[in-house]
Amino acid sequence: MSSREREIRKQARAAKIQMWMAGRSSRNKSPLDKICRFIISRASTPKPEDDFLRDPLIDNDEGFDPDELDRFQRGELG
Amino acid sequence: MPAPVPFDPQEVVDAKYKERKLRPGVTAKRTICTACDIQCSVVSEVKNGRVVRVRSSDNPIFRDNICMKGIISPKGLANPNRIMHPMKRVGERGSGQWERVSWEDAFEDIGARLKATIAEHGPEAWAVSTSQWNTGTDHGLGRRLMNHVGSPNWTSGVALCAGNTGAVNKFTYGWFPIGDFQNTKCIVLMGHNPRRHSWTPMYTWIRQAQARGAKLIVTDPRRSSSAERADIWLPLKVGSDAAMMFGWLKVIIDEELYDKDFVANWTIGFEELKERVNEYPLERVAKLTGCDPEMIAKAARMYATEGPAIIPWTPITDMQRNSTSGIRLQSILRSICGYVDVPGGEHLQGFNPDIINESEIEMHHVLADEQKSKQLGSDQHPAFTYRAQEKFCGPMKKVWGQEYSNIATGSYMTPPSSLFRAMAGEGPYPVKAFFFLGNNPMMSYANMNLIIKAMMNQDLIVAHEQFMTPSAQLADYVLPADSWLERPMMMDSMGWMSTVRTSEKSMEPPGECRSTFEFWKLLAGALDRPEVVPWETLEDFYDYRLEKLGMGWEEFVATTDVHFKTPEFRKYLKTGFATPSGKVELKSSILEELGFDPLPYFREDPPIDPEYPLKLFTGVREDGFFQTGHRHIEEMRKRHPEPVAFVSPGTAAKYELNEDEWIEVENELAAVSMKVAIKDAMPDDLVRVPHGWWKPEMEQGAGKLSGALKYADALLCRDDEDYLDREQGIPHLKGVACRILKSAPLNTDAEAQAEPVLEK
Repeated sequence: MSSREREIRKQARAAKIQMWMAGRSSRNKSPLDKICRFIISRASTPKPEDDFLRDPLIDNDEGFDPDELDRFQRGELG
Repeated sequence: MPAPVPFDPQEVVDAKYKERKLRPGVTAKRTICTACDIQCSVVSEVKNGRVVRVRSSDNPIFRDNICMKGIISPKGLANPNRIMHPMKRVGERGSGQWERVSWEDAFEDIGARLKATIAEHGPEAWAVSTSQWNTGTDHGLGRRLMNHVGSPNWTSGVALCAGNTGAVNKFTYGWFPIGDFQNTKCIVLMGHNPRRHSWTPMYTWIRQAQARGAKLIVTDPRRSSSAERADIWLPLKVGSDAAMMFGWLKVIIDEELYDKDFVANWTIGFEELKERVNEYPLERVAKLTGCDPEMIAKAARMYATEGPAIIPWTPITDMQRNSTSGIRLQSILRSICGYVDVPGGEHLQGFNPDIINESEIEMHHVLADEQKSKQLGSDQHPAFTYRAQEKFCGPMKKVWGQEYSNIATGSYMTPPSSLFRAMAGEGPYPVKAFFFLGNNPMMSYANMNLIIKAMMNQDLIVAHEQFMTPSAQLADYVLPADSWLERPMMMDSMGWMSTVRTSEKSMEPPGECRSTFEFWKLLAGALDRPEVVPWETLEDFYDYRLEKLGMGWEEFVATTDVHFKTPEFRKYLKTGFATPSGKVELKSSILEELGFDPLPYFREDPPIDPEYPLKLFTGVREDGFFQTGHRHIEEMRKRHPEPVAFVSPGTAAKYELNEDEWIEVENELAAVSMKVAIKDAMPDDLVRVPHGWWKPEMEQGAGKLSGALKYADALLCRDDEDYLDREQGIPHLKGVACRILKSAPLNTDAEAQAEPVLEK
C-alpha cells in the first residue's frame, strides 16, 4: 500500500469519526451524545481574541416585544 | 494582507451568545432560517404565539450561523405591508386594482383558466418560475404537478446560481461535489466573497480552515475582504475566470503536478485536454486575465501541491458567457489533481438513502418524451434541459440508484431567456399562463424589459408572495405566502448534500397566508388531479418521505437537528462515475453528442465599443438583502438607503465623479440610476452594480413598478447571443459594456445617509 493510499484511508476514517460525533452531538440525548457535544463544543470554540464571528449587532440582539410587533403589524407604529 | 480584527475585545466579554436561558413566557423552537438560500439552523424564541427573537443555534456545529437578515426576520415578516389574503386583479393588468377573494374561489377560477389555456395551446403553454430554495415546502411538488399535466417549461433563478453549476458538473464526473472544508488544506475562491453577514456558514468554514493553516487563493477583480486575507490574490479582468484556469492547467500539466495514477485510471480525454491547454501559454493567459504570469504559476502550484484542495461553488462562473467552460474547468482541475471524492477534497455525497428525495417526488419519468422535446431553448442551449440531462439517466441509476438527479434543482430546466421570448410571442409556440412562487422573475433574470413584455402578453399570471413585488404587481392573482417561521420544514439540500435537517413550526401564519405545499395541493385539485398531491397536510407528506426511517415527522423533528449519511469516499472504485464512460470525462461525450465542443474553451469579449468603454459587474448581493427581497425592512434600508455603484478612484477622476453623486449607468438596453461610492478596492474601468433594487414605498403598477424601472440591474443585463453562454443559454453578468452619465439629483426618499458597508 502506497503512503498516499495510507494517508487517504487515515483521513477517511477521521472524517467518518467526525461525522459520527457530529450526529451524536446533534441528538444530545444519551450520556455518550452529551460527551460528543462537549468535545465538539470545546474543539470548535475559538479563543475570544480569535473569534472572527463576534459581532455586536448579533451578540447584543435582544429580539422584539410581542405587543410591539402586533401593533407594528397592524400599522399602528410609524 | 491579513484583515484587521473586526471587534473590540470588550464586546467579546459582553457578548451574550452563550446565554441560553429563556426569558419568562418564552419557548424555543429549532428552525432553519430561509431569509436567504444558505438556510442556517437557528433558534426561534416564541412569546404570546409570536416569534420575538431569532438567535444562533445551541448545537455547536451550527454555532453563530446567523446574520442580520435572520435576526430582523420577526419584524420583517410582521411588516404591515405583508400580503394577508388572496387578491384578484379587477382592472387592467398592472393597474393596481384588486379585490379580496377566498383561496377556494381563487383556485376555482385559476383552475378553469389554466385548463382553458392548456386546451387551446397545449400543456407546454403553462410555465412556472420558482425554486425550492426560496419556497421551502415546494419539495418538488411543482415539478411533479407540471410533469403530470405535461409541461416541461419550469425555470428558476438557479439557472444562473448554483443549479446550473450542479447540472454542468455532471458532464465531468456525474455529480455536483461539496467541498470538505473541515479537512481541506487549500481553498480557492473564484470571485466569491463570503463574509460575516452573507453566506455566513461558508465564511465560518473558510476562516476556521485558515486558522488551521489552510491556504486561501482568491481570484477577484476587486480587492474583496477575502482577497485581503488570502495567501494569493489574483486580480483578474472581470469575466476572465476560464482563461485563468487554462493558465493553471498549463502549469500543472507542464510541470507534471497532476495525479498521474488517477488521470491514467479514471479519466478519459487527457491528451485532447492537453492539446487544448497548450493553446493557452502563460503569456496569453496573462494578457487575457491581466495578471502577472509568475503569480498565476504560483497559484497553480499552490493549488496542485498544497492539497487536498477545494474550489467551492461560486456564483461568478454561473453568470458568464463562458459559464459552461468555466464550471467544466473547475471540475477538471479538481479531477486531474486527484481531489475528487477524497477527504479534504470535493465530496460526491449522493442522495440520503433514508428519505424519499425531491428528485423522486418530482416524477420526471411521467412527462412524455414528446413534451420533453418541446422544452423551450433545448434546441439551442440544452446543457441543463431534459435533452442533455436525460442522457445521465442510465449512469445515474447505476451509480446513485435512481435515474433522475435534480441536484440543487438545476437539472431539467428551461433556459430563462428562451422562456421569456416565447411568453412575449417570439418563440416556437405560445406560452400564455405563468406562475411564480417566492420569486420576482421580472428582476431575477436578464433583459427585464423583455420579461415585462412577456408578462403583459399572458392570459393568466399567478403569484404566491409575501409582499407586492414589481412582478406581483402585474399578476392576475396574488396569493399570500407563509414564511419559515410559520411552517415546519424538512431540508434535504435538494440532493446536493446528503444531510437532512429539520425546522419546527414556530407560530401560526398571519391572515390567510399558506404554504407552497398547500398552493400545489389546491392547484392539483383545481386541475382535477388531486391524486398527484394526495397528502392532507404537510406533516402527512413528511411522514411519507420518512417511511424508510420507520419514524414519523413528529418524532423526527423532535429528536433530530441533522440526520447524516455516514460518509463514504472514493465510491467510484466500486461503481465508477455517473458518466456514459463511467470515468471522469475531461472530454465530455455528452457535449460532443449534442454538437458542442467537448473540451472547455474561452470566448473573448466582443470588441470594445467606444460608446460604452466601461465594464459592468452585477449580480452582487448586499449584506442586508437577499436577491430582490428585504427592501421593505427599515433597519436594512438604513444600512443601504439607495442603490450604490462602486467605482475606483481612477475611474471617478476620469469621469469627474464625486462620492454620493447620482449617476446613470447605461448600455444599449437601458439606463439605471445609482449613487456613486468611490472604493480603492475597485479596479479601474469596472462598475460594480448591486443586484435587485426597487423601493416598496414608490408607486406601484405598470410603468412604475415601485422604482424597478429606475434602479433594477436586470434592465442592463443582455441576453443576445454574444452575451449568452452557448451551452446553457444563461446571461453574462460579469463584464457587460456600459458607460456612466452624470444625472441631476433625484428626489429620493432615503431616510438616512448611512455609510454603505458592502462586502466587508
